[in-house]
Formats: sequence, structure tokens, C-alpha cells
Amino acid sequence: MTPIDATATAVARRRGPSGRRARAGRIFVAPNLTAVAVFMLFPLGFSLYMSFHDWDMFSPAKFVGLANYRSLFAEDPLFSIALRNTVVYTVGTVLPTVLISLAVAGVLNRKIKGIAIFRTIIFLPLAVSSVVMAVVWQFVFNTNNGLLNIILGWIGIDPIPWLVDPKYAMASLCIVSVWRSVPFATVILLAAMQGVPENLYEAARLDGAGELRQFVSITVPLIRSAVSFVVVISIIHAFQAFDLVYVLTGRNGGPETATYVLGIMLFQHAFAFLEFGYASALAWVMFAILLVLTVVQLRLGRRRAAQEERSWA
Amino acid sequence: MGVAQRAFKPNVLRGVVLYATLTVIATCALFPILWAMSGSLKTAGEVTMPTLFPAHPQWSNYRDVFAVMPFWRMFFNSVLYAGCVSIGQVFFCSLAGYAFARLRFRGRDTLFVLYLGTLMVPLTVTVIPQFILMRVAGLTDTPWAMIVPGLFGSAFGTYLMRQFFRTLPDELEEAAILDGCSPWQIYWRILLPHAKPAVMVLAVLTWVNVWNDFLWPLLMIQRSSIATLTLGLVRMQGEYTARWPVLMAASILILLPLLLVYAVAQRAFIRGIAVTGLGG
Amino acid sequence: MASVTFEQATRRYSSADRPAVDRLDLSVGDGEFVVLVGPSGCGKTTSLRMIAGLETVDSGRILIGTRDVTDADPKDRDVAMVFQNYALYPHMSVAQNMGFALKIAGIAKSEIRERVSDAAGLLDLEPYLDRKPKDLSGGQRQRVAMGRAIVRRPQVFLMDEPLSNLDAKLRVQTRNQIAGLQRRLGITTVYVTHDQVEAMTMGDRVAVLRDGVLQQCAVPRELYRSPVNMFVAEFIGSPAMNLVTLPVVDHSVALGDWSIPVPREITDTTAGLVIGIRPEHLDVGGTGVEMQIDMVEELGADAYLYGRIAGSDNTFGQPIVARAGGQDPPPRGSRVRLHPQPGHLHFFDLDGHRLL
Repeated sequence: MTPIDATATAVARRRGPSGRRARAGRIFVAPNLTAVAVFMLFPLGFSLYMSFHDWDMFSPAKFVGLANYRSLFAEDPLFSIALRNTVVYTVGTVLPTVLISLAVAGVLNRKIKGIAIFRTIIFLPLAVSSVVMAVVWQFVFNTNNGLLNIILGWIGIDPIPWLVDPKYAMASLCIVSVWRSVPFATVILLAAMQGVPENLYEAARLDGAGELRQFVSITVPLIRSAVSFVVVISIIHAFQAFDLVYVLTGRNGGPETATYVLGIMLFQHAFAFLEFGYASALAWVMFAILLVLTVVQLRLGRRRAAQEERSWA
Repeated sequence: MGVAQRAFKPNVLRGVVLYATLTVIATCALFPILWAMSGSLKTAGEVTMPTLFPAHPQWSNYRDVFAVMPFWRMFFNSVLYAGCVSIGQVFFCSLAGYAFARLRFRGRDTLFVLYLGTLMVPLTVTVIPQFILMRVAGLTDTPWAMIVPGLFGSAFGTYLMRQFFRTLPDELEEAAILDGCSPWQIYWRILLPHAKPAVMVLAVLTWVNVWNDFLWPLLMIQRSSIATLTLGLVRMQGEYTARWPVLMAASILILLPLLLVYAVAQRAFIRGIAVTGLGG
Repeated sequence: MASVTFEQATRRYSSADRPAVDRLDLSVGDGEFVVLVGPSGCGKTTSLRMIAGLETVDSGRILIGTRDVTDADPKDRDVAMVFQNYALYPHMSVAQNMGFALKIAGIAKSEIRERVSDAAGLLDLEPYLDRKPKDLSGGQRQRVAMGRAIVRRPQVFLMDEPLSNLDAKLRVQTRNQIAGLQRRLGITTVYVTHDQVEAMTMGDRVAVLRDGVLQQCAVPRELYRSPVNMFVAEFIGSPAMNLVTLPVVDHSVALGDWSIPVPREITDTTAGLVIGIRPEHLDVGGTGVEMQIDMVEELGADAYLYGRIAGSDNTFGQPIVARAGGQDPPPRGSRVRLHPQPGHLHFFDLDGHRLL
């Protein structure tokens, strides 16, 4: 084919129906793409850029290279506190959430009468705002007239200063966080469980498996990808927690920084101290940690699956 | 071997245990809300007492909420923001999702990978520049600050819709093409009507997200007249720390619209999650 | 190894107006291969699942051996089942699938390994032991489902249409394998199918069900030769038996212009009846019924003639099918005389019951 022919067909192709579709495709994507570029990609790049500067939005930005990162890791005592608190919070939220929601989904995965009502009730916290719940739970945790201390009073235990004492503040936070996360995880796990074909359970019953055995040997392995998904999402969410912490234990990270997590630290440095450069550096450090965690999880998941295949050979 | 003997099979015991467990779980899910409801009807003094039901329900607490914060104004604002963003998201994300799923254009697949990449980016990284953007554009403390960022859709919404459109059979579109429909007509007349479950999921998720959003309104809004309910509640919490009954009344009032939406949309929403394969 | 007995077993679904299985009385002997056959909705799968314990028995009893298992849990019944779509555990390998029940029973790993490899040898599954079900073909998956049942050495095998998802050729092959396997292992087997050819070729005895009611349970030959009612007569045999409803005139019935004498015991009791004759028992040529051929199906060794009975006054009556030799079948549009072979006429009353 001569070059002239090639161009001719190329032009013809562009004008034909596939050309029209391609054009429509580009037009359809354009508004969405613009939004993503402006509100996602640009901020991504800009915050990286900012992390190498000192800036408070009033005076001009000053380039400082890696100084922000250096002071974050080497000089800021609050960073290691925030990091430790965040890790504790994340583990203290994700682990109980996954275990509890597995069990709850297992119980909800039945066709008995009235199950729909129970499901609706148990999923209710999904609809509720973190903020509203934080306000309500403050009431529950209140040292003097909170529900929890009242109940403890019934069994003769002295009131616990849930939100006031640094020893208990993190635990209170985790309790609320778990309460908040379980419905979401349960919805996902339940949907996955319902995808397991009924006659696998019948075959298992004939093979002699009791209920617990069926759950452990059939249900759980077959929803492994949903469980992974829940774990990853929960970790990402918990790591960045802000709303709940702010409303429940205050903008300074609770009594004696007991609940001073990375999200609060970021907010403080950015919008209280107006240290945009430093805050951006912190944000990127968080991003990097999350990225590593996610990749590690995916790798681990794949290796575990491969191991199990070899275990019966 | 009669019917009576069958009635006492272990099945009955199993049923009792099951329902008991379900009730315990349901109570755990509900009790904070129930406790808030009971607190909202008590007097300030009664609040310290371990009773579930107040002696005389103080409905006045609910009235006081309206005196303490511009409830209806904030309600209107929340609805406005959530509504506009939800509609925008559904429209633009489904449009883009259709394009990514079915229309071939140069660079489509690389672009989509880029989209997927942004899903990984945490909120913490983007919030500061977004704040600065709004500042520079002079949109802080205006309703636009709440609407514009989400109006044209997001990467997540597009991902959701694209995954869903890929599960629809090719024949649907092919028949329309043979009938002479343009891509827009195919989208508007044929694919979108078939996309109800995914649209449901996206709309509800978006609505709930915008309604409950706290950080963004906190950063963007100063005037109460354009504040959302969520922001209003936290401000009230800051100003009226000891007035638990009124605070609880406010909380319940803010909860109610969402609970209503939830009760209505729940079934469709849950089915939508299964259909769009959100669960991995 | 044991027998299986249904005693007036009934299963009723609350939403239906008739029972799915209605007072079934059936005995399967120790080591016997009994096939439950019938159209969809006849209750055959439900009956099978009642033996397994996967369906509750609303009234009546199920016995395995001498043990009343009506209320027993599936895992206590010592039965193994091959499901229609195999129900293999997708996350386990073939070996793990087959060994699962043994693992639960607490049998030693070494013995599990031995039993699994024995069964795998019987079914040619050795090269696939480490594969997952998704990496197997339909036929291989079917064999794994069988292997899973064999490994348990149960008292009873239950099979729910195990061949229906295989293609035709594989079906015939596997049919023979299953029959051979059962004979070798000697385990009591109850087999469900909707395909009467499978039923006739595999079963020691065949039970025909319709609308939850047992029609007849007998050896294949007897079902073929002496169907107890019209439903069984039509269900067994392909192409189906010709059934013609005719009035009794003068102690005989007329097929077109050809009349057949009817025994007096019958004509004394009824004014109309149904005559049954199988296509393979009608010889072309000689005296007999006249048939107008509308269509000829040539199958190589045989040909089947489809047409209508021709009356003396050129009217055309009821449809009729006859088998002819494959060499030179009469052409479409022609007329032939069909002579019924003696001794192969069936008489049914108007309610469908067998007469004589």
C-alpha cells in the first residue's frame, strides 16, 4: 500500500462510524476528565511541589528542598506519637471489624423468617453520619451521665472517664470506629456470602460437615477476595481518620495527645498553623505508607493462595 | 412417629439461639440511637438517670433545636449540595463510564489506568491543594465551594459505572446501532435506563457522602446561612456543651432524613452493591 | 451396603396444590440399581433428596437398611450424592474435594491418601489430583463428583441426573462407565433421570413417576412389554407408542378400514377404549391399517414413517408412526398397509388404565 493510500484509508476510517464513536467517546469523557484533572491530578502534583517549600499562603513560598521531610522524621516528636496512635487505631479498628463482621454476616446469611428486618436494623449505622454518631457516642461515653457508666454502675464498677483519661480515650475511639465500620463490612461480606451456591452446602452436609465447619471450610475461603477488599478499604480509611477523632475527642487529639492521629496532625499543621509545606510533606508520607501497605497486602494474599494449593500435594 | 416428636427436634433450640443472637446484634447496632432518642426527651437533670424512658417527654427540646440553630436553612443547604452533586455525579460518571466501557478512542485504556491510579490517592493529599484552589478562585464561603468539586463526577463513580456497563450484554447496544442511534441516544435511551442498580448505588453513596461530609464544610464555610446540618451540629456541640437533651434532639433530627432515605433505598442499594461487584 | 425403603413418604410444599411426592412406596434392594424417571416436576429429584435428608419428610418414613432415618441429619445417614451440577468445592483441588468428607470424619491422612488414589485410579483422575475444578472439563468434573462419592464407601449412592450436563457422545460413554462401576462396587444406587433411554439401559429396575405419584416400578423389559397405564406406555420407548382412542363397535374397533376384534371381557365393560401399538411392531405390507405417509425419517439402519390412518371413505384420522427397514422405505405421500404383529397390542380404558 502506498503512503497516499494509507492516509486515505486512515482519513476515511476517522470519518466513518468508528470515528464518530471515538469522537463521542472523547466528548463524553471530557467533563469528567476535567474534574479528575483539576481536583485529583493537579492537587497530587501541587501538593508534592508544596512539600518542598515553606508556605503560609500570605508570604511567597520558599524552597527548602527536603527540609520538611527531614524535620518530620528526625525532629518532630509529635510525628512518632501520631504515627504510633494511628497504627494502634488502625489495628484496633480493622481487626475487630473484620472478625465481628464475618460473624455477623454469617448469622445474617440465612433465609429464616424476619431476617430482612434484622438486616435492615443491623445495617442502619451505615446511613448515619460519622459526625452525628460521634456526638451521640460522646453522650454514651460521658463520665457522669453516659449510658456505659450507668450500666457499669449496675454491676458495681466505678465510672470510667472514657473520653477524659488518656488511658481510655483510644479504646473509646476504637469502639466507636468499630461500631461504625462493621455494618459496611457486613454488607460487603454478606453480599459475597450470598454468592456461594446453595448446593455446595448440601454437599458439605452430606460429607458430614456441621454448621461451624461449613462456615470455616466453605463460606470463608470462598469469600476471600471480599475479605481482602474489606481489609484494604478499612485500613485506608482508618489510617486517614479525621472526622470521628475531631468530633469525639477534640481538635487537639484528645487528652494528652492520646488520640493524636496523623489526620489530626495534618489538619493542625495545614489549617491551624498554616504550614502548608510541612503539611503536604506529611500527606505524602502518609500516602507512601498506605501505598506500601496495600502492595504488601496484595503480595501476601497472592502468596497465601499459592501456598494453600501446594498444601495437599 | 408422630408430629409431636418432630416438634422437639434440635431445630427448635437452634431457632431460639439464632433469634437471640440476632436480637443481641440488633440491639448493639441500635442502642446509641435509642439512647440518644431517650436523652432527647429528658430534662437536663433527668439525663443523669439510668432510665430508658423519661418521666415526661420533653418535646420542647426539639423546639429548642430550631431556636438554637437555623435548622431549616441548614437542611435546605444539605439537600441542595447533596442533590446537585449526586445528579452531577450520576450523569457525568455514567456518561464517562459508558465511553470507557464501550466507545473506542485513542488513549482510552491508558487513561483508564490513570483513573484507577487516582483511586489510590488518599484524601489527605488532595485536600490542601483543593483548599488553595478554592481560595484562589474566590469561592470560599459560597455554595459553589460545596458543589463544584463533585459536580462533574469523580474517578470512583466513573470506575463503578464502567464496570457495570461492561456487564451489560453487547446485543443491547448493537441493536440500537443497527436502528441508527447515535452514541448519545444509545446512552440516554438505552443504557442509562438499564443501569438502575448501579445508578442507585452511586447516587446513594454520593448523597450520603456529601450530606455527612465534615472536613470540607469545616474548611470552606464560615456563614451559618450556607452551612450544612453536619457542620451546624458540631458548632452547636462546641457552643452548648452541657445541654445534652437539646444536642441529642438535634442529632435525632439530623438522622431522620437519612434513615428515611435508607429505609426506602436499602434493598435496591444492597442489590446494587452485589451487581456492580463492589465486593471484590 | 443396605436397602432403601420409602414407606408412604410424602413431601408437600405449602405453596403448591398437590404434594411434590405423594405417598411413595418403593423398595430398593441391597446392591440394586434403581432409576427414578419421569418428566420434570414428577417428584423424582425430591424423592432422591428425601433419602439424603435434604428435604423434610412431611409424612411417612424413609428407611435405610432397617434403620428409620426419617428424622436423621444428612451426615448421619451414610449416603453419598452426585449432584446435577456436581457441587465441587471450587477452592479445593480434586484430591481435597474427594478427601473432604474423610477429613471431617477424622480418618488418618495416610488412609485418606490411599482411598483417594484408589478412587482416582478407578476413574482415570490420577493426572488431575492437584487441579482445581475450574481447570477441568465437564466430563472430568463429573468423574470427580463420582470420585467424591465413591471414596466415602457409603451405604447408598444417590445420583441426580449426573449425565444431563454432558454432550451426547460423552453421555453414552459415561453411562456405561457408571453402570459398570456400580456393578463392580455393588453399592445400592438410586439414580434420577428424565431420559428414558438412560433409565432403560442402566437400571435393574425402573420407577416411573408422574406428578408425585409412582406409576410403575419394574424391570425395563416389563415396563416395555406391560405398561400399567397409558402414561408409562407413552413415556417408555422411542418413538412413543401409538395410542388411538376408538369406540367399540360390534366387539371390535376400527383403525381406518381395518377392524380389530376385542376380547369379550373388555367389550362387555366399556364402550370405548384406547389401542396401543409400538411403531416397531407394525410391519409394512400385507393386510392391516392403511396409512398415508406424511414424512419419512431416515436413520440409516431404520426409517420411521409418520402419517395418518386412512379411512375407507378417504378421510384421514389419527396420526400413526411405523418403523420400516432402512434399505428402501416407502416414499412420502404414498400409502402403505401396516400389519400389527400379533401379541403386541395393548388395550387401555379411557382413564388410561391397562385392560387385561
